[in-house]
Amino acid sequence: MSAKLKINGQEREFADAFPATLAELLHCLNIDRATVVAEIDGKIVPRAEFDATPLHENANIELVRFVGGG
Amino acid sequence: MDKLVIAGREFQSRLFIGTGKYASNQIMAQAIEASGTQMVTVALRRVDIDNPDDSLLSAIDRKKFLLLPNTSGARDAAEAIRLARLSRAATGIAWVKLEVTPDPYYLLPDGEETLKAAAELVKDGFVVLPYINADPILAKKLQDVGCATVMPLAAPIGSNKGLRTRDAIEIILSQATVPVVIDAGLGSPSHAAEAMEMGADAVLVNTAIATADDPVAMATAFKLATEAGRMARLAGMAPQSKQAQASSPLTGFLRNE
Repeated sequence: MSAKLKINGQEREFADAFPATLAELLHCLNIDRATVVAEIDGKIVPRAEFDATPLHENANIELVRFVGGG
Repeated sequence: MDKLVIAGREFQSRLFIGTGKYASNQIMAQAIEASGTQMVTVALRRVDIDNPDDSLLSAIDRKKFLLLPNTSGARDAAEAIRLARLSRAATGIAWVKLEVTPDPYYLLPDGEETLKAAAELVKDGFVVLPYINADPILAKKLQDVGCATVMPLAAPIGSNKGLRTRDAIEIILSQATVPVVIDAGLGSPSHAAEAMEMGADAVLVNTAIATADDPVAMATAFKLATEAGRMARLAGMAPQSKQAQASSPLTGFLRNE
């Protein structure tokens, strides 16, 4: 059974090892948690709560970070 | 140089720098250093999931430079507010450069949406630095809702056209009771010097430095120009005159009458 997550506007399937928490998802995607900001279903998740934030199927996740800008 | 105070925070440098468009993070870091700035702007974008490597923040010494996230990309107040809140969650700091630009061709700010977002963000405890057209009425309204500065553009972002909005900026400068930062369109150090001579409190520059042939040298040039302009302002420039004002007396000439 595969479970999906929507990440940055794109649906992704996790055939096995569906990430249980946001921290796990970041680890799985190789994203440095120290520089990323996250929203789940429109709500901002504080960095300190990444480990304690569970993910449900079809969650709408936005992962953003700082880039150069004027 | 006399210090600048924004929202209770002191700045020795009146030049703020953007971090976009540099050829590399290394050049960016060197240019930032050369500029003498104490505040740099950054933007927020989605992580590229297929290519998540990120090194921008590691190239900026957060102990030396205050990070000022902008809300670039926002097309309306709601998007800007969302970006501001995400930035605050990222840095723990509630300073934001409010930028609401629905049209990607000219990137001119939407004043109505900017005012709406500013009022909401100020209420939410943000220090708001709003990017605006050189609109004196709008500048006053933003001041009245509690913005920490107003930031009128000289010309469109990245256009390097200089002080095209000169007359309107002069009006804003004569009426503002918060610091005025000229932001966008400054293309050469002389533009920055002129803005400071006019009485601007600071200037914000990105493209003119980042896309110069030698960004580090250009950053130094802008630093000197900003300082020169401010020094000239404080020194009290001599007035302009239609008629010539002779440098030596018009008497005592050695002549055969």
